[in-house]
Amino acid sequence: MRNILGRRSVSLRLIVLSLAWIVAALAVGGWVLASHFENHVERSFDAELERNIGDALAYVEIVNGRVSMPQRPANPAYNRPLSGWYWQLSVDGGAVERSRSLWDQVLDDVREPGAGQINAYNAKGPRGEDLRVVVKTFQLSNFGQPVSIAYTGPLHVISRASHEFSEALAASLLVLGLGLLVAVVLQVVWGLKPLGMVRQKLARIHAGEIDKMDGDFPSEVEPLVNDLNSLLDHNAQVIERARTHTGNLAHALKTPLAVLGNEADKLETDSQRIVREQVQSMNELVKRHLARARAAGGLAAPGQAVDLSEVLAPLQRTLVRIYQSKNEGAGITISLSDTDGFRLLGEREDLDEMFGNLLDNACKWAASRVEVSAERDGHQVLIRICDDGPGIPDADTDTVLQRGKRLDEATPGSGLGLAIVLELAELYHGSLTLRRADLGGLEARLRLPAQ
Amino acid sequence: MRVLVVEDEQDLREQVASALTDAGYTVDQAPDGEEGGFLGDTEPYDAVVLDLGLPKVDGISVLSQWRKDGRDMPVLILTARDNWTEKVGGFDAGADDYLTKPFHMEELLARVRALIRRTAGHATSTLTCGPVEFDTKMGKVTFDGEAVTLTAHELKVLSYFMHHQGHVISQSELIEHVYDQDFDRDSNTIEVFIARLRKKLAPELIQTHRGRGYSFGTPEA
Repeated sequence: MRNILGRRSVSLRLIVLSLAWIVAALAVGGWVLASHFENHVERSFDAELERNIGDALAYVEIVNGRVSMPQRPANPAYNRPLSGWYWQLSVDGGAVERSRSLWDQVLDDVREPGAGQINAYNAKGPRGEDLRVVVKTFQLSNFGQPVSIAYTGPLHVISRASHEFSEALAASLLVLGLGLLVAVVLQVVWGLKPLGMVRQKLARIHAGEIDKMDGDFPSEVEPLVNDLNSLLDHNAQVIERARTHTGNLAHALKTPLAVLGNEADKLETDSQRIVREQVQSMNELVKRHLARARAAGGLAAPGQAVDLSEVLAPLQRTLVRIYQSKNEGAGITISLSDTDGFRLLGEREDLDEMFGNLLDNACKWAASRVEVSAERDGHQVLIRICDDGPGIPDADTDTVLQRGKRLDEATPGSGLGLAIVLELAELYHGSLTLRRADLGGLEARLRLPAQ
Repeated sequence: MRVLVVEDEQDLREQVASALTDAGYTVDQAPDGEEGGFLGDTEPYDAVVLDLGLPKVDGISVLSQWRKDGRDMPVLILTARDNWTEKVGGFDAGADDYLTKPFHMEELLARVRALIRRTAGHATSTLTCGPVEFDTKMGKVTFDGEAVTLTAHELKVLSYFMHHQGHVISQSELIEHVYDQDFDRDSNTIEVFIARLRKKLAPELIQTHRGRGYSFGTPEA
């Protein structure tokens, strides 16, 4: 949920925007509907009052030049005193006849329109109540003065009706709004799902499980995925180029170093020693930084995994050949046990480098055999490389892993091997530890992330 | 013993060549993969020092081609590329040893010596044949424990004999392994060296097989 509710979440933006729009649309719609309804109720109310006026006109008689109403309209509502339902017949502004409901009161706010016209308005009744008033003025043929008839009804009839309508309307709009909100959330979650997929794939790429995004994406997301893929490709190419350049530079330096070193050997002892030492330390620098550059590059190009036995078998073959004349010509036996079926995350060359150095070190010191075994250890693979050589005292294990440190200065080698393995292993979030092997020699334990 | 050095860096190539020459080898040089490949294909070398990063044809291709053509002389790869992926590639292409730059010249000489010895089937650095002992490391020869002084060419002939004891070796084979490619080969000089060796050591050590060549030590069965 954190990513949906995050401050910069697209989902949240979409939902908030939609919500604002829904609220605004429903509010405006509700207001328009409610006012239309109120209008409508008012008009029908007015129409009824006007009809009553028409009916009442039939009762108007002119006797002896006076307007009178010998008989009254029979609507009982107009008999209940002060009910708000009133009528009044006026001539020239003066009340001539009134409904019974008016009791002893007179409608004093009668706004007479011109002859033949109708006036409808709100006014106060005799008791101060709110009234709806409709007044119509007639010009009778046999009477000189305009006669007006006013009918009223209580205003609260209209307001109550529109109030009830508004309540019902508000309730249904609320339900509609909630429904829309749910729909919007669903739409956003469903609609943005491909982005979530992209994120998951990126995470898997980062974890080294895959090296590019595959699968079907909607047409809107696909360009993004394609761009990401080409970015990954580009990245890998840049790394490869940088690595090649570093490699070329480092290797190009080695031949002049070799020439220098060999030339130095022809000099008198002191200069020879100094040049030799400098050549050696330059070589170690080149070697270390080459290894580092390689490894750092390897981590930046994710998604690669290598079969452990595919790394070990060629190294085994090669090292057996290199050390074939050791052990009085009998050579070194390198046995691999339980090393099948493990896939390690990383670049082939980095893994070659780690295992090559460890196996080389083991073969260098072994009396006759080297044993390699592997086992799964959580997210990692633990690889043990043991030899039957003299081993090293526990106290010296840390020293051996330091850059360029060697316990035995007589055996050829730069003393960088184990330090490079350690550095590579740490870059791969793995580890290298040394201990005494059951065979008697050194046991190197390398832990590396498994696929 | 004749060694081919294929290396594009002239200074390094000459250093290696002169060190090998000083150690008693006959040395041919090639500055690129094309020439190196051709020489290795046509001349009988006892060892090759091969760089990998070569102009025209790279070292691995040269080596693979030799092996495909059945050329089985021992090859020492001398390269700046020291990562294990390339080492494995080098050995899989048919290399016999691998030395990375920068290197100590003594290390290179020791490796070449060991390669030649191993190929000839000798386990130790001192070769023995009856009263004759040849220390390949120092290039010293003793007869019944007494030091024998030999010229460079005599030593080359003896070295080839010592490495191939009991085999019948033709005059032309001896010439090919003792002289470099530019030498004006004259079979009479070989006869002169053999006569001197017989005189300095023991006449019966080198047998003449009429029409076939010479053999050293115990005759071939």
